[in-house]
Amino acid sequence: MSDARKAILSALEAAQPPSSPVPQRVATPRMPRQPLETLRERIEESGGHLQSLARHERLAGVDWPVDLATAHHVYSAHPALESRGVGVAAEGDRELALLELCVLVGEFTVVENGAVWHTPDSRRERLAALLAEHLVIIAPASAIVPTLHEAYDRIDLSASSFGWFLCGPSKTADIEQALVLGAHGPRTMALVLETD
Amino acid sequence: MGHVSRAEAFLSDPDRSRWHDRALWFVRAKRDAAADKVPDWEALREEAAGIKRDALSRMPELWRAFEANATSAGAVVHWARDAPEHNEIVAGLLIERGARRVVKSKSMLTEECQLNPHLEALGIEVVDSDLGERIVQLRDEPPSHIVMPAIHLRREEVGELFERELGSAHGLDDPDELTAVARRDLRARFLAAQAGITGVNFAVAETGSFVVVTNEGNADLGTALPKLHIACVGLEKIIPEQRDLAPLLRLLARSATGQPISAYTSHFRGPGDGAELHIVVVDNGRSRLLGRPAFREALGCVRCGACLNTCPVYRRSGGHSYGSAIPGPIGSVLAPSQDPDRHAELPHACSLCGSCRSICPVQIPLPDQLLSWRAELATGGQHSRWRRLGFGLVGRLLMSVAAYRALGGLGRILARTLPARLTDRLAAPWTRERALPPIPARSFRALMRDRNRTRDRFNPLSGPPVQETNSRAAERRP
Repeated sequence: MSDARKAILSALEAAQPPSSPVPQRVATPRMPRQPLETLRERIEESGGHLQSLARHERLAGVDWPVDLATAHHVYSAHPALESRGVGVAAEGDRELALLELCVLVGEFTVVENGAVWHTPDSRRERLAALLAEHLVIIAPASAIVPTLHEAYDRIDLSASSFGWFLCGPSKTADIEQALVLGAHGPRTMALVLETD
Repeated sequence: MGHVSRAEAFLSDPDRSRWHDRALWFVRAKRDAAADKVPDWEALREEAAGIKRDALSRMPELWRAFEANATSAGAVVHWARDAPEHNEIVAGLLIERGARRVVKSKSMLTEECQLNPHLEALGIEVVDSDLGERIVQLRDEPPSHIVMPAIHLRREEVGELFERELGSAHGLDDPDELTAVARRDLRARFLAAQAGITGVNFAVAETGSFVVVTNEGNADLGTALPKLHIACVGLEKIIPEQRDLAPLLRLLARSATGQPISAYTSHFRGPGDGAELHIVVVDNGRSRLLGRPAFREALGCVRCGACLNTCPVYRRSGGHSYGSAIPGPIGSVLAPSQDPDRHAELPHACSLCGSCRSICPVQIPLPDQLLSWRAELATGGQHSRWRRLGFGLVGRLLMSVAAYRALGGLGRILARTLPARLTDRLAAPWTRERALPPIPARSFRALMRDRNRTRDRFNPLSGPPVQETNSRAAERRP
């Protein structure tokens, strides 16, 4: 196997093209005049919903996709809402497939595409976000960036083993290009921006 | 059977081929609308092309850095010179851990390496988890598009397939209901899987991370559940720095489907709690392509599929007509480098319209490369004996004035005297969709000679004889 490594690296060396000038970086775009409007448009295009909420409400004003009073299985990463049923840490991973709702805390939101950056605190949290029927992400309204350029300025990929941009529910258009929400993961996704 | 006859078979169902053509053009239009919303789109393409060119110019350095950074994060990096080595490494990892049930998300590389049949022969069940890929897997056929693998199928066919293979109700043809059927079946397979295989969209040298993009979330489900994740990556996927992801990801989904970003853009670095991460780096002809200045820029390809959607030949002939893992313009450039004898025809499946170059997010000069292949394959002896004989004959004819004139005269006589049925037959397949125009009695040379003789009688400044010819031509028009 180390033979293969050596062979490949020396083949690449032998084939090496002349060095190319450092690519010209695109100038940083400015935030659109009405970022929330652009953001709402992008999120709705992706099949998601955007909500706003004051932090002191402690999630009381969220328009939940399920009836919280009767939901049995909830995973929550937000301090104002407790996990219940299979969402509680003691339960097995595969049981998370019973989740009706998963609530995550996002770090920041990208205006140009409606994506939220999230670093799951465990494999289990990542799984909950994928297996639940409905996904709600709570993120700070103050943390928005215009494009992915500023997003990657904020991220340090070396800091964790996994991180992702999430945008809208799981979806597919593989049958006759007809958009279907809920291909494998959540059927709905809502982004709730919390203002101070 | 070559591209032409397979395309002919695809076109024999006019409803399907018309639908295919329009569906892909619709995706192209969505791409245009998405690109129009980005004010610095062309600058982004320039930047992305620059990043890829830079990466290609220092591959050994970048791959060494990637390996060191990924290893320090706890991943194991493997190297495979070709498809068989790649398949053996993957199979070995699965067998060592007793993994018999595997879910795989979309990866054109594993398609190129024919990983599935290799694993199946060893008794390992591989389930393609992308819905489109699952559909073509159940039909036992390859994907016909690199982003929309089942774009060649109609909903009724998917309904019949699911009824047969997954036991769904008869006559089901609603995409929502069909997707729900597949979701139920695949959910059970995700939960039972012992390993997940993914491709890689971008490998970042600076951090040893890699990015996998999906809309369905299938790559994530397939890797969050099982404890073993195997990521297969072609040498061309390396980029230098984390910040390079910004322009590339801004371009990728918009070029592919017109979305501003895919639903899931996942960044992996190391295995995470209690799991194993193996990264298989594959050459399989890529270093050879890197050494060829005329073709190396094709290695910058991000597999968005935009060149397929815009290509008039692809849209009308279907992905299966190409007979290569990757179809369309980019496939026609890559396939001959893998097997020139088998794919010699593909660089001709192109009208050189140039649409692919103007749409490619990393500015690959696809038409130039297709033209270069034509020249190389013509002189490399990859054409059939009849084609070589034909071109040789035409070449000699065009070199000899006397032979050219004589044959032209004979042609005009025959074209005017033989019945149309026969002349159309001689001009086939050009005349399949149209009729030959009336053939003039005299050659262009003869007409010009007459015209010049007439013009001599005029003072060039007093009256334009050109007008006279034009008005005469107008009279003759029906």
